[in-house]
Amino acid sequence: MSDIASRVKAIIVDKLGVDENEVVQEASFTNDLGADSLDTVELIMEFEKEFDIQIPDDQAENIATVGQAISYIEEAKK
Amino acid sequence: MSYNLLKGKKGIIFGALDENSIAWKTAERVHEEGGTFVLTNAPIAMRMGKINELAEKTGSEIIPADATDVDDIQNLIDKSMEILGGKIDFVLHSIGMSVNVRKGRHYTDLKYDWLEKGWDVSAVSFHKVMQVLYKSDAMNEWGSIVALTYMAAQRTFPDYNDMADNKAYLESIARSFGYFFGKDKKVRVNTISQSPTPTTAGQGVKGFDGFISYAEKMSPLGNATALDCANYTVSLFSDLTKRVTMQNLYNDGGFSNTGVSQEVIERFTEE
Repeated sequence: MSDIASRVKAIIVDKLGVDENEVVQEASFTNDLGADSLDTVELIMEFEKEFDIQIPDDQAENIATVGQAISYIEEAKK
Repeated sequence: MSYNLLKGKKGIIFGALDENSIAWKTAERVHEEGGTFVLTNAPIAMRMGKINELAEKTGSEIIPADATDVDDIQNLIDKSMEILGGKIDFVLHSIGMSVNVRKGRHYTDLKYDWLEKGWDVSAVSFHKVMQVLYKSDAMNEWGSIVALTYMAAQRTFPDYNDMADNKAYLESIARSFGYFFGKDKKVRVNTISQSPTPTTAGQGVKGFDGFISYAEKMSPLGNATALDCANYTVSLFSDLTKRVTMQNLYNDGGFSNTGVSQEVIERFTEE
């Protein structure tokens, strides 16, 4: 697992209070990991802080799964 | 309709997220009544909602602040006085959040670090705001401070969960601080206990739609809307209610004093 992927997963485990095993690539924040609207915004803001990036709202809307978050951040950090 | 009730008055409004928010409606009404104010919300809520739109509409500035952080509150109050050009006449605290509710934890199985976060955001934040205002001597005489609450603080509504306890705590802080604010600064402190209102926060409560319909049928005047609450808040910010303090005031269409209504009886009467 890449460094980015493991840091993303650690944030998700911490913020959503879910088990590490549940945080798989296809897992949807809202449907599988129990995130509400506040959690999803909080996650985006945590990603921005942790990776020192800006995620515009229209792009944040497309980040719905663990895998999408990882690939977005990997792309942004290139 | 505007009566110019708040002409020349300056304030701070916490908790406007979007146009469904009670704080949003209050900001609009205060603006119509001639009051000026600073809008504030947590950075995350600012990102979720559209407070910029409200600021533009009401000619207000926004200062982000985490209401659980005393340094943030101090900065908010210092800057607000600068922007508004003097001391504060009114404050609306419209803030509440329970992690246990959000995560669907049952009241008999609460997580205590979530519980602490919830009471800090929902109740202790009110004390923090008032303590900073008090110590900074930031309130004008005959100023008015209002927080929003719900009747689950007095009667049990199972799905309201630990928010019921947070609201009880909030109401108690209003009375306790209201004494000192009244004695020392001639400032009044009240809570408004509002009908269930379809806001973003309210919709976090399980079974909320059924609950709103039930409250509607149980209230002789029907549920009080967000706009009704905004109007009531305006009256409490005005000089017409100068000696109303340390009260928990029901704005609920009569729900809290109704034992049962005819409509509810009929639903349970067999044909």
